[in-house]
Amino acid sequence: MPHNVLIVDDSATMREMVKRTLRMAGLDVDGVYEASNGIEALARLAEHEITVILVDINMPTMNGIQLLTRMKQNQRLRHIPIVVASTEGSRERIEQMQQFGAYGYVRKPFQPEQLRDVLKPLLGVKDHAAAENADAGSDLF
Amino acid sequence: MPQQKTPTLAAIFSDVLARLAFMFTEDLPVDPIPGGGWIEASVGYKGPVEGRLVLTCTREFATVLASNLLGTDPEDPEADVKAEDAVKEFMNITCGQYITAVHGTEAVFCLSIPEVRTAEAPPADDAGPQQVLLSVDGHLVQLRHQAGPAPAAGAAREQP
Repeated sequence: MPHNVLIVDDSATMREMVKRTLRMAGLDVDGVYEASNGIEALARLAEHEITVILVDINMPTMNGIQLLTRMKQNQRLRHIPIVVASTEGSRERIEQMQQFGAYGYVRKPFQPEQLRDVLKPLLGVKDHAAAENADAGSDLF
Repeated sequence: MPQQKTPTLAAIFSDVLARLAFMFTEDLPVDPIPGGGWIEASVGYKGPVEGRLVLTCTREFATVLASNLLGTDPEDPEADVKAEDAVKEFMNITCGQYITAVHGTEAVFCLSIPEVRTAEAPPADDAGPQQVLLSVDGHLVQLRHQAGPAPAAGAAREQP
C-alpha cells in the first residue's frame, strides 16, 4: 500500500519546506498532497488514501483543532495518524491536541531529524544511512 | 516590563532566523534605504496578556528569506512569489517562540493569522525599549513589540 502524506498548512512556504524535509529525511513516501486549511484537507482526504497527516493549528477557515475534531467523528478518517506541526508551546494546548487524538507533535522551527523521528514509525525509511543519524527532538503521544 | 523584552525579542528573532533560514544578525550599523520596497509583517497574540510583533523589512530581504527557507536561489522566481508568505510564516514562528520565552509554557495564547502590508522605511534612530533595529546579512530590519490590544482592523482571531 502506498505511503501518502497530506500536509495541511496555510503557508505555502512551510508546505514546501515540509516536502523538502520529507525528501531529506529519507522517509518512505510515495505521494505528498497539500491543503491550506481544514476544509481543503477534508476534500483531499475524500479524494486520496492518506497514510499520515501533518497539520498546523493556526489556519484560517478551519484550523487544525477543528480538523482533528471532524476527523475523529468520521469512521473512515478517525484512524489516520495526525502529527501536529505548530508554533504552539503551551503545555495545555499540546495536551489538548493529544486529547483530540493527535499521534505526535513537532514544534516549529523543526529540524529534519525531528520530523523523521516522529514520522518514521508511521512511514518507515528508504535511506538507512539517514535513519542511523536520527536525533531526538520531537514528541510521540 | 518592556525594558526586559528587547533583548529577548532580538535574541529570539536571531535564533529563529538562524535555525530556520540560516541567516544571521550582525552588530553592524546599516542605513535604511529611503523610498519604496518596504513591507511590514505582523502577528498578534492574545492570552493572559495581548500584543503584537511587527517586522519591517525590504521586499528584497523577504525574497532572500524565502529563498533560504525553500532552498532555492534568490533569483529563482519562486522565491519572489513566496516572499510575503515566507515573512508571514517567519513571524508566526517567531511570535510562538517569543510568547513561550517570555510567558512560559503554562500560559495559553492564541495567535492571529499573520498579515503583510506595504510600509515606509524605518528611521535609522528608531530604536527603543520595545523595538530593535538589526542588520541581517546586510539587510536592515526593524522588529517591534506592541503591547496591548491590536488595532481594530487587525484583531487577533480566536482559536477554539
